[in-house]
Amino acid sequence: MIIHLGRLKPNLRWLAISIVALGFSDYPSSLLFQSAQAEDAGNLYNTAVDIRMGNRYFERQCSRCHGFDAKGNDETGAPNLTGRLRRASSDAGIFNIIREGVPGTAMLPVAADVPDATVWQLVAYINSLRYDPLSVELAGDAETGNRLFNGKADCSGCHMVNGRGGRLGPDLSRIGENKTPEDLLLSLMDPDQEVAPRWWTVRAAGADGVIREGFRMNEDSFSLRIMDTDSNLWSFQKRELENYERLEKSTMPSYAETLSDGELDDLVAYLFSLRREVLPQ
Amino acid sequence: MKHATALLVSVFMAATAGAQEDQFSTVITPAFSPITWERLVDARNEPNNWLMYSGTLDSQRYSLLDSINTDNVGQLEMKWAYQIPVIDRAETVPLVVDGIMFITEAPSNVVAVDARTGREYWRYDHEMPDDLRICCGRNNRGVAILGETLFMSTLDAHLVAIDARTGNLLWDTEVAPHDSGYSKTAAPLIVKDKVVTGIAGGEFGIRGFIDAYDPATGEREWRTYVIPGPGEFGNDTWSDDSWKTGGAATWITGSYDADLNQIYWGTGNPGPDWNGDVRLGDNLYSDSVVALNGDSGEIVWHFQFTPHDVHDYDSIQVPILADIEFNGRQRQVMMWANRNGFYYTLDRSNGEFLIGKPYAAQTWAQGLDPVTGRPIRVPGMAPTYEGIMVSPPIVGATNWYSPGYSQDTGLFYVTSFDGEQEFFKRDEDYEEGERFTGGGGRYTSPMDAFHSSIRAINPETAEIEWEFPIMPRSSAGITTTAGGLVFTGSADGYFFALDASSGEELWNISLGRRVHAAPMTFAVDGEQFVTIASGNVVYTFGLRD
Ligand code: HEC
Ligand code: HEC
Repeated sequence: MIIHLGRLKPNLRWLAISIVALGFSDYPSSLLFQSAQAEDAGNLYNTAVDIRMGNRYFERQCSRCHGFDAKGNDETGAPNLTGRLRRASSDAGIFNIIREGVPGTAMLPVAADVPDATVWQLVAYINSLRYDPLSVELAGDAETGNRLFNGKADCSGCHMVNGRGGRLGPDLSRIGENKTPEDLLLSLMDPDQEVAPRWWTVRAAGADGVIREGFRMNEDSFSLRIMDTDSNLWSFQKRELENYERLEKSTMPSYAETLSDGELDDLVAYLFSLRREVLPQ
Repeated sequence: MKHATALLVSVFMAATAGAQEDQFSTVITPAFSPITWERLVDARNEPNNWLMYSGTLDSQRYSLLDSINTDNVGQLEMKWAYQIPVIDRAETVPLVVDGIMFITEAPSNVVAVDARTGREYWRYDHEMPDDLRICCGRNNRGVAILGETLFMSTLDAHLVAIDARTGNLLWDTEVAPHDSGYSKTAAPLIVKDKVVTGIAGGEFGIRGFIDAYDPATGEREWRTYVIPGPGEFGNDTWSDDSWKTGGAATWITGSYDADLNQIYWGTGNPGPDWNGDVRLGDNLYSDSVVALNGDSGEIVWHFQFTPHDVHDYDSIQVPILADIEFNGRQRQVMMWANRNGFYYTLDRSNGEFLIGKPYAAQTWAQGLDPVTGRPIRVPGMAPTYEGIMVSPPIVGATNWYSPGYSQDTGLFYVTSFDGEQEFFKRDEDYEEGERFTGGGGRYTSPMDAFHSSIRAINPETAEIEWEFPIMPRSSAGITTTAGGLVFTGSADGYFFALDASSGEELWNISLGRRVHAAPMTFAVDGEQFVTIASGNVVYTFGLRD
């Protein structure tokens, strides 16, 4: 299957990804999940219909915190559920979070009378939000991508992977767990599209009249901290500033023109392979 | 088997013994002079006490205390902190009576502490069922007091009366069945010899109402539905049977005018929130302010801010009442910065619209009709299946957090937010006790990309006089003082003071956790204090000794 990159201009380019259809194994019917504490025996409710039901339930019960697209909400503190989950690495783990909540946080358990089947459908829906890496085959070659990253393309000048590289961009050691190949390609071609506030640029004129510019490391109602290109940190009380302006753009260049399609594919394959867990071959 | 049963029994007995100890506390507060209705009417003139949620019946949150003022506010220091044992978020506004402070906690508990030290006298832990239906967290915002009795709303939609000296439960009345989606979070309002209180549950297809109870017995004296039933005026503003599940929750405390004998109360969104197709019409009295007769509870007038709302623009702001000069004439007005992005000044004697303008980013209305104040909608801004971007977002240009008014500056202060969100519509059937919202929303930009501020509005012109930017969106209320100060908090955990006339920053302290509450101020032995809840802690500040 070839996925069309809906968010890019259609004539820009296509990324070749094939998703290997997941065969859902047949579990013996004795393995019905009746206990509230799920054992890690897999999810029986993961057909397309279950995913749709899970989606509907999610929109109704969960979206007010996690967002209608499950991408989280800074305000409610509800995390993005479309990437790697912090608290669960298996279906049973997700099931238990939904059943029992996360104590001491706003994440409350679903009502006791919600059937387990519904919870499993939610699990199926959450799983459907990201690719099972084993099911994705990318056109590029991760090894070639790795060499590009550290060599000709000099991504490592700004990005750290497993402790090696620069600090002028986010650490990418686990980027494959949180992003789809489409997202990754978009980051390379149009970095301004989605820039986390941590990577915005601020230009501030201090009381001494000196203008300093750098990453917006931290900003709150009364103070501001920036890191300039020499990695110096500067902290200000806003009331002491003459003025300051904010640029919500990326400092990363776009590679749409400077790298070939093949090179971009290789980089995407490399980035997608960056994850902590070792995938069975 | 036998063994297990025996064990169960003994555990059960231990639990009951514990509960009894809580119920019949032997620790009592010092005596205080019982709070009469006359004292509540005149609450502004005993500024050492904070006798109700909004300070006074006109809800200005304006205190006459001025020993902390623009000259010395920079010398504020923390005097004590009270840690709430149940970790949640504190939206409480404590009351203070003669040096005793009453703090409510999540989910629905009260603690009495010494207002000078924060040391506990007693606590009341409300017994709670485990099948609560709550939309937005386990909150409680405060108690009301009359005589020596405290009145509190509970999450399971009860109203309880507690002896203020001992914390003993006096009565416990079910206001509505919690398993149908009703809950209660707001402080009640004392009106003469009654406890007036609203209801929450607007996301569960409830039918909103305002109730009055006998403070001695807990018996209901009257109930006024804010969605009219068949045959009543306004019932035809709901298509088919949609009035039965129309929401219009009354989940924030109202105000009262003793001269006009009118209770003013805001009402919430019509339900389902984001799908208006199933409830065609204006949907009275959702998203309105209703004025009720102070004795009978009958609706005297209403003003609907957002007819046929499809964006969840609840009008549950606290109504601020003041007598001001308007176009050269002394008027009894009500000031209201609405969740829908517009500020309004109304004549509170009859609900007449005097002036209204946007005070925050909004894209859903072209403006207000200059005569009626009814919004003129921008076509095509209703939520869709695919999603449509609208300002204000669901959380609103402001929300439930109290605004303030200063009698010295004549300005109205509101915590405001300029944001936008994609709104979605979904088809949903009503099922009792289930969420009934018909859609939802999502942000497409990080919170930090939006602008938040404290805005000072002139009620005569509806113009913004100044603004103080904060970030990100705040849900803190505002309190003003005769010391020329505006106190409020921010989502990034600051508590701060601004100059009420200029908006200039005078003092701030980082408390490290979101402020979800409004500040209040009081005095003990002539010394003024300011209290604010942040995160799970209640902090009290005073001047350096
Ligand atoms: C009241 C807001 C709220 C609602 C409603 C809510 N959540 Fe959460 N959820 C949270 C918060 C906050 C966390 C983070 C808890 C923590 O780990 O600190 C969370 C965490 C999670 C996690 C774990 C994420 C991780 O990275 O490990 C999952 C899974 C989850 N929620 C699923 C759901 C589902 C499914 C629903 C609907 C049935 C739901 N949530 C409803 C607030 C909410
Ligand atoms: C000049 C420094 C710089 C260089 C060179 C650079 N980046 Fe970036 N990169 C950044 C910054 C800053 C961000 C964060 C802002 C953004 O999202 O664009 C970023 C973001 C990213 C992201 C998105 C990360 C996320 O969490 O969303 C990816 C993927 C990425 N870069 C890959 C690369 C690759 C591959 C290269 C080399 C072809 C590269 N970058 C070169 C600075 C750089």
